[in-house]
Amino acid sequence: MLNEKDIISTLMMVREQNLDLRTVTVGINLTDCVSHDLETFKRKIYDKITRYAGQLVASCNRIERRYGIEVANKRISISPIGVVGAPFSSEQLVEVAVTLDKAAHELGVDFIGGFTALVEKGMSKGDQALIEAIPQALTETQRICSSVNVASTRAGINMDAILKMGEIIKQAAELTADDDGLAAAKLVVFANIPQDVPFMAGAYLGIGEADAVVSVGVSGPGVVKAALEKALAEDENMDLSRAADVIKQTAARLTRAGELVGREVAQLLNLPFGIVDLSLAPTPNRNDSVGEIFEAIGLPAFGAPGSTAFLSMLNDAVKKGGAFASSHVGGLSGAFIPVCEDLTIAESAANGTLNLEKLEAMTAVCSVGLDMVAIPGDTTAEMISAIIADEMAIGVINKKTTAARLIPAPGKKAGDIVRFGGLLGEGPVMAVNMGSQENRFVRLGGRIPAPIQSLVN
Amino acid sequence: MNKALISVLGNDQPGIMAAVATVITEHGGNIENLSQTLLQSVFGALLMVSMPEDAQCKELQQALQQIGQKMRLSIHVDPWDEQPTPWQENPPEVQPYILTVIGPDRRGLVAEVSTQLARHGVNITNIQAIFKGGKNPMDNLMVFEVDVPRSTVMQDLRDALHEVGQRLDIEIDTQHRKIFESVSNISN
Repeated sequence: MLNEKDIISTLMMVREQNLDLRTVTVGINLTDCVSHDLETFKRKIYDKITRYAGQLVASCNRIERRYGIEVANKRISISPIGVVGAPFSSEQLVEVAVTLDKAAHELGVDFIGGFTALVEKGMSKGDQALIEAIPQALTETQRICSSVNVASTRAGINMDAILKMGEIIKQAAELTADDDGLAAAKLVVFANIPQDVPFMAGAYLGIGEADAVVSVGVSGPGVVKAALEKALAEDENMDLSRAADVIKQTAARLTRAGELVGREVAQLLNLPFGIVDLSLAPTPNRNDSVGEIFEAIGLPAFGAPGSTAFLSMLNDAVKKGGAFASSHVGGLSGAFIPVCEDLTIAESAANGTLNLEKLEAMTAVCSVGLDMVAIPGDTTAEMISAIIADEMAIGVINKKTTAARLIPAPGKKAGDIVRFGGLLGEGPVMAVNMGSQENRFVRLGGRIPAPIQSLVN
Repeated sequence: MNKALISVLGNDQPGIMAAVATVITEHGGNIENLSQTLLQSVFGALLMVSMPEDAQCKELQQALQQIGQKMRLSIHVDPWDEQPTPWQENPPEVQPYILTVIGPDRRGLVAEVSTQLARHGVNITNIQAIFKGGKNPMDNLMVFEVDVPRSTVMQDLRDALHEVGQRLDIEIDTQHRKIFESVSNISN
């Protein structure tokens, strides 16, 4: 027997607080498609993807009808192309990207992630070709996402790769100058990338994963905000222990709903279920913003002093709630703080409450990193590499995932507005504290050694 | 073995069940199943009772009538032949849904909603109404627990209910029961 309180709170989650299944992502292993012949490889990957994910959109639609919960995005993650496409040149890998894009269009899926290289310790020939192909590949395609892992706690930081990525990001943005550097918004540089992220732009299918697997990404910052507001309305003296409990319980409820729907889609597709990634991932809409949660708890604005403390608590409580609700929580699971995708965070960046330095500090305790940050178009590649290196170091030392999705918007200066449309949203160009643009440190290259795992202080 | 359905209705007070059950036992009957509820201050119970062949249904009925007069209850005894309806004989495969109606009480609300449900082959398994009054729409809620046959097109049902909702200025939502259960119960 369901009680009235449970019915009302569940109803509110779905109806008014933007609980949605952000993504159902089918991971597809492409290692058995390898070939030295480009045409054979293209045909095999196209066939395998369209075969395994052929019913993805129809199955999601069926589940939407049954449960009345929207599946906002349908996505595919694939084995890293830097590995399975290792024999090919960067020009040929651009063709591979175009083939993948064609498969995405054919299936009606929103994104394919996995135009990826894992180079935290060193760069193979395939990885190098892939990285060089990224700007052109992301310019010629619409639905391909790219990620490059340049650091890990066990391997250290590959500064040669970071130096290269500064140039690649710059090129990608310049090739799509008419769209404010859109290609760079589909490219993310990682430290400690998880193998099973269903969220973009970082999704790829790790080498240790099954032949095909269904994972789901659940969002719902609006639900968390509403739960905190309700708890505060019921008890205005609520303390932070209670607030953490409220977040934890809400995260558990969101995870349960996501896992239910994910498992049903997996069953329809006759594929194993992988993980639930419960991440508070905003969209550029009111009531679907992570920044609004900061205001609900009583901070004057996102980025104001106290924000790092609250973010650490929010991220931790979301993880605890998710881990309690499901035995298979994975991916990034926590709180995202992407600037352009979140109305409130974008506002804070525009009015100066949030600057790049504070944002970087906050990424030490969020679940991803410097995400969807537009920077001035004249920022040099070297300076971009230096920002990435800082962000990677935070992840490596803290044994967590960090990422940088930086968009040097061509022709734009600090304070200008960039617009990417859709889930990628819009926001202000954030100032970079340049000093002299000369940065000999990043040009030194080599590797920053992996950190010691004892003497933890 | 004869079976009877006994219904008991009246203002609530302690001792109703004790009196009714004692009389049934004294007449050789056995309560096989029962359901009891309170609607505001009104008591209602439905009992499924098996009686020995030679037991006099009439005598039981008279004894229950006496209790009814004493405790100001309306008690009915009906013989029950257990003859299933055609729907029960061939139950369709169903999916459980929860239908919620939000908004102030409207004349004809239950009739309209249940008529649409019947028209789409939907069976109601439970209804509860929570009318607390006031301005918060969530304080005026009706919850229908229903079984929807697989043959029903959910979108058609949702459209029909949406139309009723618009006409009566209320909000009607249809949501799969599993969503409520998975979100509310941690032990499944």
